[in-house]
Amino acid sequence: MTLLSAEQKQVKQTAKDFVAKEIIPIAAKLDKAGVFHPQVLDAARESKIFAMAVPREFGGLDYDALTQALVLEEWGYGCAGVGTTLAASVLSMDSVLVAGTEAQKKMFFEPMVRGEIGSFGLTEPSAGSDAGNGKTTALKDGDEYVLNGSKCWITNGQFSTVFVIYALTDPTKGMKGLSAFIVEKGAPGFTIGTVDHKLGIRSSNTVELLFKDVRIPVSNLLGKEGEGMKIAMMTLDLARPAIASLALGIAQRALDECVKHVQQNYPDPKVAQPGQTLQFKLADMRIQIEAARELLHHTMNLRDAGLPFSVESAMTKTSCADLAMKVTTEAVQLMGAYGYTSELSKLMRDAKIMQIYEGTNQIQRLVISRAVLAPAKPAVAVQKGGN
Amino acid sequence: MSIHLTEEQALIGQSAREFAKEYLDPIAVELDHSSQYPTAVVKALADHDFLGLFLPSEFGGAEAGFVSLVEVIENLSRSSAAVASILINHSIAAYAIQRWGKADQKKAYLPALAAGKTLGAFAVFEHGPTPGVGPDALQATQQPEGWVLKGTKAFVRNAGVADLYVVLACTDPAAGGKAMAAFIIDAKASGLTVGAPFDTMGLKGCPVADLVFDNVIVPATAMLGGLTEGQAIITETLAVASIAEAAQTVGIGQAAVEHAAAYAKTRVQFGRPVSTLQAIQTLLAETATDCHLARLGLHEAALLLEQGKPFQVEAAMVQQFLARFGAKMLVDTVQVEGGFGYSEFMPLPRLFRDIAGTTLLEAPADYPDQTIATALLA
Repeated sequence: MTLLSAEQKQVKQTAKDFVAKEIIPIAAKLDKAGVFHPQVLDAARESKIFAMAVPREFGGLDYDALTQALVLEEWGYGCAGVGTTLAASVLSMDSVLVAGTEAQKKMFFEPMVRGEIGSFGLTEPSAGSDAGNGKTTALKDGDEYVLNGSKCWITNGQFSTVFVIYALTDPTKGMKGLSAFIVEKGAPGFTIGTVDHKLGIRSSNTVELLFKDVRIPVSNLLGKEGEGMKIAMMTLDLARPAIASLALGIAQRALDECVKHVQQNYPDPKVAQPGQTLQFKLADMRIQIEAARELLHHTMNLRDAGLPFSVESAMTKTSCADLAMKVTTEAVQLMGAYGYTSELSKLMRDAKIMQIYEGTNQIQRLVISRAVLAPAKPAVAVQKGGN
Repeated sequence: MSIHLTEEQALIGQSAREFAKEYLDPIAVELDHSSQYPTAVVKALADHDFLGLFLPSEFGGAEAGFVSLVEVIENLSRSSAAVASILINHSIAAYAIQRWGKADQKKAYLPALAAGKTLGAFAVFEHGPTPGVGPDALQATQQPEGWVLKGTKAFVRNAGVADLYVVLACTDPAAGGKAMAAFIIDAKASGLTVGAPFDTMGLKGCPVADLVFDNVIVPATAMLGGLTEGQAIITETLAVASIAEAAQTVGIGQAAVEHAAAYAKTRVQFGRPVSTLQAIQTLLAETATDCHLARLGLHEAALLLEQGKPFQVEAAMVQQFLARFGAKMLVDTVQVEGGFGYSEFMPLPRLFRDIAGTTLLEAPADYPDQTIATALLA
């Protein structure tokens, strides 16, 4: 693992302890029920963990990017559904971090510091991978915008107090007419539609948001009109490593469960050991998890150093998500009937969404391949007349 | 090879597809939700002769062979792999009796199994790395009154609904897994209880539970095969099971790739159906290829089995292939359908949960590799 500071190590340990005590014991029950229980967050409130990305001047924990990744890995380890609740709330505030004014930040971050949660609303039925193809509009009327339309698959939607919603302020311009807004819970005309049931991350809340003539003050516009796509892309650059972290936690959990199972089956290595086929599978899992973790931490180091990290963000999301899928599938197979009848099967179901949300891995590969194929910049300037 | 089905095999496959549309499509989703054993559907399977498909006609079977059996399993699995699981576990119990039974055992059990009046189950696993060694391993002790069975069989499919079990028990604790013998046990035998059903990831509706034997006494005539034949019975029967489960995997994969292809044609992003995107086409092409190659392999293994030739290496190769590519079929087809595909109102999540159980339940993860390598190195 990356060399961590004493403070980072301590935050990681605190998160690990919290997850072991508060999340792991109830994860299977939450998964089976398939609904989000807000009381899951009661224990988290005290720690202000939902404000881990909020700058200190607004009362948040102000964790650096690497520390946030450490926390999210632990939450993914405990339950990727509950982890998704946290990651999605951080995602919502990323848009405000990217484009918010001081007043907007105060408005959005204060609930986070109180332990409330937020939602990010970009996706629509017609706008999944094609994120700029939404139909929701926000047309200006005096000193207000009037919001009409719907958003789908919005994590936390039923329980969030603050939302970042993307809508067209100029529908004639397509994605160039997209803008971002802060919308508060309870605004007249803003209601919750269908609640989705999913293959995995079943303890997270996923809903449809419906907007009918919802009036929001112009002061809630993030950035300028037409900057929505830019803000969304910058937000997702920040947010993708959060998904990578959850996925990494799932993979690590799957490996740990396999190891536990093997040790139960072979309590005394001097008497009997699993065959090399099985031993090497475990070794491969470990190799790949370590490598993926290094890429994630490297990406976070770039972000913390203020360096470009957009391509690394896409790479780490893709590699950790694919890894989680691979390791959980192998783990279920390796443990046979035990895998199929235990919480391991939950890990496999949870892992699948990691390849889909926050930009499918196909969209990530599009981003990465563009960078791969971009004309190479010479490492050293070519000098005329040189040898 | 056998992928060119005979007219009879093709007809049987077709009738299984029609059966699945009529009986399984209407109940598959509800079965997945409720996990209630589908009594009426199993009766319909019996009425259509699917429960005795490969058994000899002298015992009332259809004597249609194993290629027909895998055709039926694939076609049922395209609609409900859970129902196929019930059929598979019944069939391998019947296989063991037909293969190792003495004349009077065959006469006593096969007609009822073929007619579906008796549902069978094959119980081999235990809680522990291999049968015969764990602390609650099923032990069979010879007493004056007969064999006395004590211990537990784990993860038995059709447990609680089967009428008879073919169980593997250790006859010599000192020799452990090397001294295994098979017994035919009546489900109503005194001292035999069924544990609480396991909550499986998928294949819901085919019950999985432990069988607990508390001094179950059976006569010497209940032994299937010889005293030292248990290990051979396990190996060969599980190889037959792996061919059947390969057909189940291929059935699920085929249903998934057909659904994902149809979906991709209707899902418009970036102003065009996503089916026109090369990245989506690759996911579909890989799944269809894996499905097709697995089908070729499993048909070959089924044909070898049908012809009485060695088939275990070929069966292990199919299992090996599907251990790598089986679950991937659903990982990739759900990916084609994206967020929609992950939602439980769509069909692929059920298939995703089912396919994880079809490639792994009947053998330890390293079994196929060992079988193939042993043959290579012999």
